[in-house]
Amino acid sequence: MRSTRRSDGSAAGTRGDGWRRVRGVAVVVVLAALSVAAVRHWPEPPIGPRYVGAGDPTPRSGGTFVFAGGSNIRTFDPHVAYDQLSYMGIRLLFDGLLDYDRDSHLVPSLAVALPEVSNGGRTFRFELRRGVRFHNGRELTADDVVWSMRALLSSESASPGYPFYKAIVGAPDFHAGKRDDIPGIKKLGRYTVEFTLTEPDHTFLNAMALPFAYPVPRENYERWAKVGPDAVGRHPVGTGPFELVRWERGVEAVFKRFDGYWNQPHPGPDEMVFLENLAGPVATARFRNGDLDAIAGMPAVDYLFFKKSRAWKPYLDQYPGVTIWGLAMNCEMAPFDDVHVRRAVAFAINRKALSRALQGRALPTGQLLPPAIPGYDPDLPDRQYYDPERAKEEMALAGHPDGLAAPVTAWIGDSDNSRLIAQLWQQDLREIGIDVALRQVSFATYLEATAKKDTAQMFPSGWNMDFPDASNFLFLFDSHSIHPSHSDNRSFYRNPELDRLLAKARPETDPAARVKLYREANDIVARDAPWAFLYTPLEMEVWQPYVMGYRPHPIWLEDYRDVWLDLPRHRVPQSRYRDEPARAEAP
Amino acid sequence: MDPRALRRFRKNKGALAGLVLVLTVTTLGVAGPWLAPHDPNRQFRDTLVLADGLPAGPGSVPGHLLGGDPLGRDELSRLMYGARVSMTVAYAATALAVLIGVLVGLVSGYLGGLVDGALMRFVDVVLSMPFLLLAIAMQRVWSAPGLWVLCLVLGVLSWTTLARVTRAKTLEARNHDYVAAARALGYPHRRVLLRHVLPNVAGPIIAIATIMVAQMILAESALSFLGLGVRPPTASWGSMLSEAGGLVLGMPRLVVYPSIFIAAAVFGFNLFGEGLRDALDPKE
Repeated sequence: MRSTRRSDGSAAGTRGDGWRRVRGVAVVVVLAALSVAAVRHWPEPPIGPRYVGAGDPTPRSGGTFVFAGGSNIRTFDPHVAYDQLSYMGIRLLFDGLLDYDRDSHLVPSLAVALPEVSNGGRTFRFELRRGVRFHNGRELTADDVVWSMRALLSSESASPGYPFYKAIVGAPDFHAGKRDDIPGIKKLGRYTVEFTLTEPDHTFLNAMALPFAYPVPRENYERWAKVGPDAVGRHPVGTGPFELVRWERGVEAVFKRFDGYWNQPHPGPDEMVFLENLAGPVATARFRNGDLDAIAGMPAVDYLFFKKSRAWKPYLDQYPGVTIWGLAMNCEMAPFDDVHVRRAVAFAINRKALSRALQGRALPTGQLLPPAIPGYDPDLPDRQYYDPERAKEEMALAGHPDGLAAPVTAWIGDSDNSRLIAQLWQQDLREIGIDVALRQVSFATYLEATAKKDTAQMFPSGWNMDFPDASNFLFLFDSHSIHPSHSDNRSFYRNPELDRLLAKARPETDPAARVKLYREANDIVARDAPWAFLYTPLEMEVWQPYVMGYRPHPIWLEDYRDVWLDLPRHRVPQSRYRDEPARAEAP
Repeated sequence: MDPRALRRFRKNKGALAGLVLVLTVTTLGVAGPWLAPHDPNRQFRDTLVLADGLPAGPGSVPGHLLGGDPLGRDELSRLMYGARVSMTVAYAATALAVLIGVLVGLVSGYLGGLVDGALMRFVDVVLSMPFLLLAIAMQRVWSAPGLWVLCLVLGVLSWTTLARVTRAKTLEARNHDYVAAARALGYPHRRVLLRHVLPNVAGPIIAIATIMVAQMILAESALSFLGLGVRPPTASWGSMLSEAGGLVLGMPRLVVYPSIFIAAAVFGFNLFGEGLRDALDPKE
């Protein structure tokens, strides 16, 4: 830290001093002039897209598609992966028996049709598509589906997906190592598999569409199991439209089009490059220079740029995510064991101010279910909203008309953003007499502490859905989700009425009746306020004009499997940069 | 102070400039809260946050000279309150480091032998620990990181240089006749150390401590930037840097203002410390 000292301090006042001084001034002046010039003529990225497509609407193959993620890809093993970045790769490499279309409806993929349901909603019979091949050339059969499910459900896989499938007959005992077979999974023919559940559960189909259940080839797992844990995650073999060429961990993964893909014709790029660890501002700059073909999740300033841009407008999509953010309160810990204190908090937080501080990238809400999930109701009778007067009334009902005597402690994660947002509701709660001390801890500590009994009084919390069904949100408040540590029900909220509703909705096959039950449950959770529900984030994705066939997927978000490129692309002459939609031009 | 040293100091223009900077930031730290135009934690959500969610710029809203921060708090007021936090931490942590360092150095150099060996090996151990990593770990251990924990952590981790320098100077002073005379007169060790040895080793200690203040300002900023400093919503220069967050590229002023203060304070203490060292130790 210490600066180096002039060693010739004694030279001052000798001959040549005047010249030296002039020279010094000259150097400063030149440097200043240069920096002014540099700042004024700094090369600005173009306002609109730098490249446009050839203008040929016929879908065709060819080219390289480059996209990026902000951190490390963890794995390409669908049994283990449980994060967006891994899913972006897995969606290129694998297929499921079932998938979702762009309207969030379940559709058959490797299955010929949606399964035949019998036995009062307990048994599901899948008929597999014929002629589907893995990247290694072998045909997919019922044996693969059975083996993949076995591998997934065994405790060795350590899959976070196990709980989604524990309703399969025999699965819990198999998982615990108490038995060797799973009676609930049966091969009925070369292309037929049947699943049986202990009780009817409508969401089993959603579970079968999760990447955890994507069929994988046994030989590949057995080969890499010898090498080490997660070696198979670096050497994936699937049935998807792309296969992995190489993966330099932390840098990039390269995929090439799989010629034996079952769903032909499937025009697409010859090659896909997935860059890892590209920070938001860098990714945006490279995208605007035409080095990346699509981006999502950018810093605030870039977000505002794209939002205001007319030139980019046809090539971006902004949509509410399938995530809910809120402020969770531990219902077993004072003062939040009192429903009125919790309701006071729910009414005290100014969601509009919060949304504005996020540059409008948040949709204010006052209920658990996001708008895209059936059961959401903008006019929910007990929905939460910002009303400081009502919050004060609730405080009075709780017996604290002048506020709480002692401060409460809120645990927050260590991102800059969580600290900033926390200071907003901290201020709102001070207005109704609740002093909040913010305790900032590492994200891992935050996850551990908030899932533990009697540990965290209050903490911001979010839930990113696994599948588009209200049960995937409501289970967070089911008393069966409470555990002393690693609790899914992090607010430790118990309500027999809610438990009863959820148990009743699970086997219900009539969609209208289910939605009615879920709406009721949604209302109870809003009324009892184990969380103050705050907002659903708005996501934005932008792609280049020559990227065709792309729209963000409502479930998988950045899902590039159906992209094709309108090449050759042409550079827009700099003289033509203006803020209006770019057009394809003849070369 | 030795009049010759004072003269040397006055002739050193850099040192005088440093003194002016040091006095300015220190005054700001003491008087900032009275000078600040607004409550630094008040969120002016309607005036200082624009419709698109960006904070209002400097001079665009009357009464808010430097505009707002991302939550609509008055930037100038936060800078002034931030000066208090930074100065408090820097001075308190340095004081603690000087206390420990000088004590260890004096005892070690004066007693010598086994005590010296043990203490200096301990210094080696402390020196071998990566400062920032340990500071982060210590901050995590405390359930309530705050201003005083921060001072304690920084002080406890940075006394080693001082201990070494003090020891070296003490070893030198120990062999002087006046120390031998004082010991021969039968004065207790404490009196010999404090009255005869300490005044003769004080020069370099003062100089190093001044430069250390600059390092403490940087360390506080770094820890606050990492979210390990003062508790939000308290303003400090480092936390202001981190709270600029995703707006940095579009609104560089959010990092430029606190950075100017940090740089000025660090530069000032460095210049001042160097000047003191040159003035107090002409032989070097």
